[in-house]
Amino acid sequence: MSDDSGTTPRNRTPPLPDEAAVIARAAGGDRTAFTQLMEHYQGACYGLAWRLLSDADQAADATQDAFIHAYRAIGSFRGGVFRSWLLRITANASYDLMRRAQRRPSSPLPDPEEGAPELPDLGAVNPVAEATKSELYRHLEVALTRLPADQRTAVVLCDVYGMDYNEVAEMTQSALGTVKSRIHRGRLRLRELLAEHRELFTG
Amino acid sequence: MLNAPHPDDERLSALAFTDHDAIADAALTSHVATCTRCTDLVNELGALRASLAELPDLQPSRPLRLLPPGADAPVATGAGTAWVRRLFAPALTAGAALAMVGLIGTATPVLNGAAGGAATGMFENAGEPQQGGGDANYEALSSTGDDGAPAEAPGAELGRDLSSAAARAPEEAAASEAPLQPDAITDEDQARASRQPTASGGDGRLASELPAERSPWPMVLFAGVALMVGAALLRWILAPRAG
Repeated sequence: MSDDSGTTPRNRTPPLPDEAAVIARAAGGDRTAFTQLMEHYQGACYGLAWRLLSDADQAADATQDAFIHAYRAIGSFRGGVFRSWLLRITANASYDLMRRAQRRPSSPLPDPEEGAPELPDLGAVNPVAEATKSELYRHLEVALTRLPADQRTAVVLCDVYGMDYNEVAEMTQSALGTVKSRIHRGRLRLRELLAEHRELFTG
Repeated sequence: MLNAPHPDDERLSALAFTDHDAIADAALTSHVATCTRCTDLVNELGALRASLAELPDLQPSRPLRLLPPGADAPVATGAGTAWVRRLFAPALTAGAALAMVGLIGTATPVLNGAAGGAATGMFENAGEPQQGGGDANYEALSSTGDDGAPAEAPGAELGRDLSSAAARAPEEAAASEAPLQPDAITDEDQARASRQPTASGGDGRLASELPAERSPWPMVLFAGVALMVGAALLRWILAPRAG
């Protein structure tokens, strides 16, 4: 993930000021420290889950599953960027949920037109510019939900959360060439879907 | 360059998203540098890449549990109760072993008794009707002669014992009524008394007056069960989380 570089994209949750110490306490069984970490990163985890699943309830369930996995595994965390570690767990939990849903015909995949989440208040300094950004993000989120599931998964993991092709291939249990093809086709499809809002991107 | 063949859009996408192999492709980059259509596409895709990477985190639609179910309960993770988790398995194993030994020890005499009863029944079925109970039958079995001839029936022996006891009774009664003469107890009598084996081990009491010998096995069984229950309770109270 590009987050491994240690820099966090704008609008993404930055690391806690004393994150290493909090992680160490959580790994030692301190539930308060673990709660602090999950509270801090729940927006990042939920955002990833929502973008993969396009459903608020399923995203909440996947995030919850990810927290349980993280609670069990935090003792084995061996450094690196905690946010990336937690997002990988969330991606796996979301992908598991997606596969289970696809195996159950009785639970159809959610309608992407419904349940679009409220985007967070960005705390705009320049209200006009931030309003434009918010509009751009909203259109982008909607366009993502309209992608086929395999393309959406690949684009979200690679282009939104910065995983490399190999990570995406491993997570989705797909061939590397298949993953690259899905990503490129997904990007081109996104461009088509956003054609009428082109000025938001290029302006 | 109207007639120049355009590269595949996926190659242009790779270039826009800064794939190393696309950047290193000289033919691709030189075409894009001279083709308005491809340049626009790469620029648009580049803007899309930047926007995707900036998408903000989202707040959950409902409050989430930050700890797994069950992890909210007070958990003893410190060294103060670590010994409980460490000793739990050995204590449980020892308790189970003790209980098993106690159970076997307790059950063995019962099983032997049942087996003895079964053997007596076999004798009664095979032989002639006998006087007396099971013990008499057992004595009759053990007193069978070497020549295979059955010994005298124990009932007859019992009858003889009773008649001789009746003959001795008046003499003993007279002796007990006579005043006790200390001089009458000779050293020889004392020596004979000390040599005479008694069921009570020589303490002067009859065997029937002694308390029955208590088997230790039920206590062993009880101790094993108590150890297991105690270990489980201690673990449950002090260190409920699996360590």
